Amino acid sequence: MTNFLNYALPGIPYGCDFALMALGLVITFRATGVFNLAFGAQAFFAAFIFDLLVRSQGLPVWAAFIVSVLVISPLIGLGLDRFLFRHIPTASMTAKVISAVGLLIALPQMIPIFFGTTTRLNPPSLWLDPNHIEFHIFNTPVNGGELSTMVITLGVVVAVVAMFRWTAIGLEMRAVVESRRLSQLQGIDSPKVAATAWAMSSLLAGLAGVLMLPLTAELIPTDPLQFTSLLVAGLTAAAIASMRSVPIAFLAAVALGVVENVIHGYLPSGVLTQAVVPAFPFVVLVAALLFNPGLRTLDLSKDPLAGVDPPPPPPAVAIRDPRLVVPMRWSWRLLLIGFVVSALTWVPGYWVTSLAQGLVLSTVFLSVTLITGMSGQLSLCQATFAGIGAFAAGQLAVHSGMSVLVGALVGAAIAAAAGGLIALVAVRISGLLLTLVTLAFALFADQFLFQYSWSGGGLTGVKVPRPVIGPFDFGSDRAFLVLALVVLALISGLVALVQRGTTGRFLAAMRGSPVATASLGISLTRAKVTVFLLSAGVAGLGGAFYGSLYQGASASNFNYAYSLAFVVVVITTGSTRIEGAIQAGMSFAIVQLILTYVPVRFGGLLPVLFAVGAMTYAQHPEGIVEYQKSKWMGRVSRGLAAYDSRRASRAPAELTVPEPSHG
Amino acid sequence: MVEAPAFGQAPFDLPSPLLEARSVSISFGGVLALDEASLVVGPGESVGLVGPNGAGKTTLFDCISGRRRPDRGTVKFDGHSLDGLPAFRRARLGMARTFQRIEVFPELTVRDHFLVAERARQGEASLWRDLLNMSSPRAAEVERVDALAALVGVTELLDVPVAALGLGTCRLVELGRALACEPKLLLADEPSSGLDIHETHALADVLRTIQSERGMAVLLVEHDLQMVARTVDRVVVLDLGRVIAEGPFDRVIDDPEVRRAYLGRSA
Repeated sequence: MTNFLNYALPGIPYGCDFALMALGLVITFRATGVFNLAFGAQAFFAAFIFDLLVRSQGLPVWAAFIVSVLVISPLIGLGLDRFLFRHIPTASMTAKVISAVGLLIALPQMIPIFFGTTTRLNPPSLWLDPNHIEFHIFNTPVNGGELSTMVITLGVVVAVVAMFRWTAIGLEMRAVVESRRLSQLQGIDSPKVAATAWAMSSLLAGLAGVLMLPLTAELIPTDPLQFTSLLVAGLTAAAIASMRSVPIAFLAAVALGVVENVIHGYLPSGVLTQAVVPAFPFVVLVAALLFNPGLRTLDLSKDPLAGVDPPPPPPAVAIRDPRLVVPMRWSWRLLLIGFVVSALTWVPGYWVTSLAQGLVLSTVFLSVTLITGMSGQLSLCQATFAGIGAFAAGQLAVHSGMSVLVGALVGAAIAAAAGGLIALVAVRISGLLLTLVTLAFALFADQFLFQYSWSGGGLTGVKVPRPVIGPFDFGSDRAFLVLALVVLALISGLVALVQRGTTGRFLAAMRGSPVATASLGISLTRAKVTVFLLSAGVAGLGGAFYGSLYQGASASNFNYAYSLAFVVVVITTGSTRIEGAIQAGMSFAIVQLILTYVPVRFGGLLPVLFAVGAMTYAQHPEGIVEYQKSKWMGRVSRGLAAYDSRRASRAPAELTVPEPSHG
Repeated sequence: MVEAPAFGQAPFDLPSPLLEARSVSISFGGVLALDEASLVVGPGESVGLVGPNGAGKTTLFDCISGRRRPDRGTVKFDGHSLDGLPAFRRARLGMARTFQRIEVFPELTVRDHFLVAERARQGEASLWRDLLNMSSPRAAEVERVDALAALVGVTELLDVPVAALGLGTCRLVELGRALACEPKLLLADEPSSGLDIHETHALADVLRTIQSERGMAVLLVEHDLQMVARTVDRVVVLDLGRVIAEGPFDRVIDDPEVRRAYLGRSA
């Protein structure tokens, strides 16, 4: 018993920290319908400010706490509300998740910009000294850091529950949760309620970050994975509480902290434990997402006023003057020819690698076109599928002596199987929950699946050779670029055929209305499995060529941050068209090239631009770049039309009036 | 007073009913939404399902079409038991539906709506056919789509994305899409809600035509009693989840219990 408590009690402070995350997630979700994935990032932002103020500026701890947690954190929340989420209250769940993904990318990138890239050791504690043992419970020492985390969290949970139950703003929040518009009709200022919720939950995130400090030994500004454990645990607790109940979220979070610690302590050290411990949080998260019936209703629009919604605005129909078609087609061809010729002749070798990378990434990005653009599902594990392809191709080529091209096809098949499996497992859930399952899978692969020598190749990674077909050796970058171009052309053609065919039409129907699609006798399960299979397969193939380009791949090339970045870049440049994926691939590669000329600490600025681009998804689901393109095409077309009409009106005028006065 | 028939028995002799819902019950958190409701639709018959707000009409509809699972009771269709079948399998057996709150595919054109339904009727999408570029619309399909458009009256709008259409037209598109499946039974859920009187009449005429020309059975949930009177052979009245009356429209509408349900207890 004592032994058990020795393991269980130290888990509680971690659990308390998870609880603060879960609470914040629940509060924003209930009041605004936004699932704030950037929560972990906000927590660490506050932690960094706190650390900076205490150690570099020499502020007393209480003053640093007031500035970082009570002032700056809520201000960040208010900013997010004011400049982003307030403008998309009625947007679809997908749009809101995409905005949150954009944030999840943007915020961590800002940390090095503000705080530099040096790791900070032994960060300060908020209240009691973590190196001082306050007392013992059943022979288990409880230090000051742990005690302050537990006491403060308990106080916060009681305060939040009391606020919901007994205060006016708590009542208003509960009303807004039921129906934003009905409560607005009752005279509740729902934007104010949403702003309050954002400020409150961001404050909780800040508090979680600062309280986490004495529990972690170091703060690494450039490692976004550092706060994923916080996010995953918070997500899990919130999912167990059906995104609804504050006390259940708290209890679930504490239980998670305890169980994690206990299995860590109890299992015999060995291969099994090494496998079980990191996998545990994801298994619980996926189980909660799949089997908690309380979550199923989240995706259903329950707003009693939703039935009187006006239909959504028609998609911007591109007005293109027919005279533009031929010049456009020719400029594309010239661009392509110019690209190939330059890549093969005068472009410096360093750039050739980047251009080839752009082509290979475009292939990977077509998988996003398939899944998000065509079927409307948002998958956050595309980089994981790419990784499966790369590792399989490399392992087969190195260990079985298989041609790397065959290995790439096998890798694509394995990735496709993994994708199909995810779709099958998640067949009962859709929308936000499915997206979270894919995110859990990506994190699971990062921290578990890809960490073995038989998969990700461990620290050194896997060697993926360049292909050789008969007399053709693709060992040089220029030759590989041609191969990458051929692969991209083939896959683009394949995606175009799917999009134009019956499968594409069924997927478009599913994106529009799953209920109506099923009512026609179309199996949604089959459609979903098909598109996951195809998309994961394309990602796997692209990933294999990505590995081959760099002649090696390791787990860190395919971590979840890449999955998020892929989705965000493709959505910014246009996820519904093949053109969009190619624009995305090329711009991603060029951005990475430019980044090599920029100081490391500002490396995050360009990804932030893409993240901001993705946040416009709610207004421009076709992608902000595609939107701008069609806007300019429209302008040129209108200009041509105006020129036509002017000429038409001038022609007869010249017959009668010798000197036409208008220009 | 019109006698409600004993459970499972057709009100008049039919060789075998097309749709037979027997003692369907479902409750939501203690509220009994359907209480042993039974309903029969014969082949080619047009039946109206009416009742005041909250009577359980749409819930019964959902139990028939497979959107909800009833707690108790069975549904049979065309000789098959539907219990436990998901919505898409029921649709493949030959029932199609329209929705009270319209469910269209906003980005697709009207033509694509019909084509999707047409392809769905022919069976699942074949990825191989798509990849071999054998999936463009065939002449026979184009002809059928044009005929459908003419039937529901949307010929001029075939190439317009549905997001740009009004509610009334969307209901016609839904109807056309359902008909493209060539169902044996059409389930129409409040097709007139949100429509003006002319649109309602046009819709009722289309429903009548379908039934007489194509021999399709229709189960119509409807608030607008005039539309029901124009469209159906027989009505079934639901109140508080129970079937309280059924029979020809004129007889049922004079039934004291029906009047009480619609107009309040004192009427």
